[in-house]
Amino acid sequence: MDEDERARLAEFVASRTPALMRVAYLLTGDRNAAEDLFQSALARTIPKWGTIRHADPEGYLRVVMYREQISWWRRLRRWRETPLNPADEPVGADPSGGSDVRLAMRAALRHLPPAQRTVVVLRYYEDLPEARVAELLGCSVGTVRSRTHRAVSRLRELLPEVEMLEVRR
Amino acid sequence: MTDPFEHLIRSTLTDLAEEAPIVHDQLSRAERRVRNRRRATVTMGAVGTLAVVLIAAPFALAGTGSDQPRPAAPSPTSPSVRPTLPAPTPSGPDVVPTPPGPDVVPTPARPTVAPSPPGVPGTASPTPVPGPPGGPGVPGPPGVPALASPTVVPSPPGPPGVPSRAS
Repeated sequence: MDEDERARLAEFVASRTPALMRVAYLLTGDRNAAEDLFQSALARTIPKWGTIRHADPEGYLRVVMYREQISWWRRLRRWRETPLNPADEPVGADPSGGSDVRLAMRAALRHLPPAQRTVVVLRYYEDLPEARVAELLGCSVGTVRSRTHRAVSRLRELLPEVEMLEVRR
Repeated sequence: MTDPFEHLIRSTLTDLAEEAPIVHDQLSRAERRVRNRRRATVTMGAVGTLAVVLIAAPFALAGTGSDQPRPAAPSPTSPSVRPTLPAPTPSGPDVVPTPPGPDVVPTPARPTVAPSPPGVPGTASPTPVPGPPGGPGVPGPPGVPALASPTVVPSPPGPPGVPSRAS
């Protein structure tokens, strides 16, 4: 990689890192895991930079990140690590109702399996249609639908009182 | 369909995204990771190749060494040295060395053709040519049964000996 290409790569990384880190944090739910996921995806993107820099490098990097998150190998490696960073744990219940609900939802999101969590992020944060999500993850639309349905059902099971809180608000 | 629960999911995810850590200098770390990964790939490839060579070398040597004959095995290239059973040569009573004299006549009393030993084709002529007067029979080549020796009767000096015929 020559100096010109490296300068473009550095500019791309500096400009898109905050947005990509947000997605990585949503996918993992942990600061250190998010940084590791982003670096891992970036390390896979750098060797391909010469061929993707004229196309859509951010899209490539996002796809690598999504697929890396649901990768079986990565899941195996993550299993050996400490699952949660204590700094990311909710400190305690907030007296206000809204924050309480959001903290509970955040904890419930952390209990989702990586595949379901990824689908939730892509559908409800990135606002992508099911077909696009299926294309990005390399699976069928039916798989995306079933994963979304299971994820939402699981969140409802983990937060049985949320709907009551929402109604009360 | 956007029910309140899905709206809550969206708002929670948006709030969570704002808590994402701010990181710097990700490119140099990623490049270091690329170098480490490449080095690990090369190392693992070399180790795998070495392991394959180490495992396959004994099998290859065993495969090439099996064609050579064993040291104790008889050499198949010299069939003439094959041990033959001793031919029942009528040595004792039949071949009677008679002293040379004019009145001595060779006695073809017994079959003079030596039976072929097992395994040796009976190609020898049943009527050996009598040797020169007074000369002994010529022994056969090594490994070939001496067929002519029992029938060779030392011919007396004077009239040549009559060759014996097979009965």
